[in-house]
Amino acid sequence: MNDRRPPLDGIRVLAQGLVWAGPFSTVILSDLGAEVIEVESIQHLNPTRTQMRHIPDVVMESVGGTYYVNRDPSEGFWNRQAWFNYGKRGCKSVTLNLHSDRGRELFIELVKHADAFIENNAAGVVDSLGIDWDVLHAANPRLIMVRFPGFGITGPYSHHKGYGSNMEAVAGHTMVRGYADADPSLTPASLHGDPNAGAHVAWAVQAALLARERTGEGQLIEISQSEAVMQHIAYDVLDYTFNGRETGQRGNHHPAFAPYGVFPCAGHDRWIAIAVASDAGFAALTEIIGAPELASDERFATTIGRLRHRTEVNAEVGERTRAMQNGQLAAALQSRGVTASALAHQQEMHEDEHLQARGYFNTITHPEAGTHLYPGPLAKLEHTAAVPPFEPAPTLGQHNEYVLKGILGLDEGAYQKLIEDQVIGDTYLESATA
Amino acid sequence: MPGPLEGWHVLDLTQGIAGPYVTKLYADYGAEVVKVERPGAGDVSRRIGPFPGDRPDVDTSGMFLTLNTGKRSVTLNLKTRTGRDILLQLARHADVVVESFRAGTLERLDLAPERFAEANPQAALVRISNFGQTGPMRDFSADDLTAYAAAGILQVTGEPDREPVALGIYTPLFLAGAIAAPMALAAMRAAHRDGQQEVVDFSIQEGLAGSMDRGGPNLVSFQYSGALMVERRERVLINALPNGVFPCADGYIQVTTQVNWFDRFCRVIGHPEWITDERMRTNLNNPLEIGGEVEMAFYEWLLPRTKQQAMEEAQAVGWPLSALNTPADVIRDPHFRERGFFVDIDHPRAGHIELPGLALRFSGTPGELRRPPLLGEHTFDELQTLGYAPSEIAALRAQNVI
Repeated sequence: MNDRRPPLDGIRVLAQGLVWAGPFSTVILSDLGAEVIEVESIQHLNPTRTQMRHIPDVVMESVGGTYYVNRDPSEGFWNRQAWFNYGKRGCKSVTLNLHSDRGRELFIELVKHADAFIENNAAGVVDSLGIDWDVLHAANPRLIMVRFPGFGITGPYSHHKGYGSNMEAVAGHTMVRGYADADPSLTPASLHGDPNAGAHVAWAVQAALLARERTGEGQLIEISQSEAVMQHIAYDVLDYTFNGRETGQRGNHHPAFAPYGVFPCAGHDRWIAIAVASDAGFAALTEIIGAPELASDERFATTIGRLRHRTEVNAEVGERTRAMQNGQLAAALQSRGVTASALAHQQEMHEDEHLQARGYFNTITHPEAGTHLYPGPLAKLEHTAAVPPFEPAPTLGQHNEYVLKGILGLDEGAYQKLIEDQVIGDTYLESATA
Repeated sequence: MPGPLEGWHVLDLTQGIAGPYVTKLYADYGAEVVKVERPGAGDVSRRIGPFPGDRPDVDTSGMFLTLNTGKRSVTLNLKTRTGRDILLQLARHADVVVESFRAGTLERLDLAPERFAEANPQAALVRISNFGQTGPMRDFSADDLTAYAAAGILQVTGEPDREPVALGIYTPLFLAGAIAAPMALAAMRAAHRDGQQEVVDFSIQEGLAGSMDRGGPNLVSFQYSGALMVERRERVLINALPNGVFPCADGYIQVTTQVNWFDRFCRVIGHPEWITDERMRTNLNNPLEIGGEVEMAFYEWLLPRTKQQAMEEAQAVGWPLSALNTPADVIRDPHFRERGFFVDIDHPRAGHIELPGLALRFSGTPGELRRPPLLGEHTFDELQTLGYAPSEIAALRAQNVI
């Protein structure tokens, strides 16, 4: 309905929210109504947009090109990048060369007009730029700063570089999942440590805003992405601390349920996930897949029996599901109280009946990327949510004028001088580096 | 230590994993969280385990313990009218009510959002469910595996010639909880600001589908180029340098090597002469040309080293190589130890236990990890605060309301 102001109306957040963790925090904050300003530069490539000033054809034709509109490498491709344009929808972009005195000075001025600054640069970057907590806190005691590098800002690994896959590895995640019968080189990267950290950042900013209403003071918040994701393997960590047990790679097995897992269905690469949690559920499953004799098989009579013979029972189920249509089978199982879901194909999700009924996908028209469907806000707020059409993500430096003249009050002469001195701009310099 | 949410009150009707993670954040960071559980059985996570010594006990399930730190537990039978009356009295003191029943359950209990608004117009109601409160699939049940399947991400997880593979037990539901958490806080803020209820409909499927891993970026990539960024495809070498998981002396490591890190790579593995080798430099994106010799040299360096040694040497020069820790390694890991991540808790039934600690470190208002409650531990206290006399409380107990 949107008959009231969005929850974060009037809150201004500066961001250097990079790759996936950063953009996930900014899309949530922006969807909730905060004014989010991404602070970029024309000297340094924003890794969310690109790691290369020019993208070679060989990369554009490979996986590295899938997230650019039509794999088009022409100038401005960095404004046509999928994760950036999703994660920064509704945000603004200012360029400031923070390696220059003037750029740094203007950034600190901007901090005085902001409620929060969130950043997931490598751990040492804000210190080397002279925009660390002490400096920013002195400039604006009400500022909330959230830092979320991979391993935190203290401790022996604080300088470690890494992407999601590195953080998950150290947090113990990679070794407790993946195919139970293969070595971990076949374990797919999960990368969900990134959105997990980003969501926590969006939470932390708001918690600190509430604290500020009470104390009048901002604060520094540190999130180690690897610690935040460690919660997710609590079952295995606690099984080790309680019982000294290490189960290793679990594949699709569940410790308490069988049959359980991902089963083949009719069609190319079609699958169903089924979780049988009771004897009654097992009986219903066997009926629906046309194998009632399995329910009276002694080995499978109880949960304990099915767990002991999980390989056999899963194989029996898979033999039958192979000829069935996964959506119909899931609906039939659900109607009998058995938890099941067809594996959705992302290529088809925008046509999914349920998601359509809920208005999940929304069109955004971006001045350079064109018109596309994007996943909707990740929660529906009845009265205070942003409603479509959403503002597109910003092009590089699109809001330089708004920020520098509008917020900081620079006059035209001073603004032109910044362009001349390459403190600001709207295209990457030829010499720009990652 | 006071947390940032000191002074805020939460009425927690969640169970399982995603919902309790939302209210755990509230509790760990200072809010008072009153958790309502079914008399006798309590939250379903009390049955999940793992249990110390493998002895099932509603008060020692590891998943319950880690997800319910610092909460107060009140048992209440919501199928009774008295139970619902007490619930609405508790709601009067709450700034936010969080529930994670099957969609439509509150309505069936005669506890529709309007009932909460009548009891307390300034509180938000956060509804977390598998598929949302509307739509043709709203009544479907789900668990972590099937929710991930419905969110589209399971399909792109695994090897191309095999079945898709899960993310690890319960993991997607923790992520769903983390995504719901900022929505809950925002709704609480808005309801408080406006003095009017705000209701959140959070669908676990939608949260996961748009999440910034293989979810949202994949969906948008497909829109942009007609191709998915991540799928169960044959592994493609992104360049001629080591990327992925490799065995070492005592386990495995994970490494990412971009071509612009070639110099540091060469120095670490003992081939500094490659830095100026023209044939190498011009073929960094050409695995067919130099990939074999590069990998051979990498293994010669890696195989004699432990995962910890390899990680230290590589990371010292900014090359992201990381140990694949097992749970045992994680518990002992020097980094997490030095940062004091794991927290000791004394629990009356589970004994001395160690739980993953606070992932958010607030400099001014840190919050703290507090002991999770026994089932119904605070029923008496909470009812007394509402004004019930001890004899009335005893009667409610006898009637199986609490």
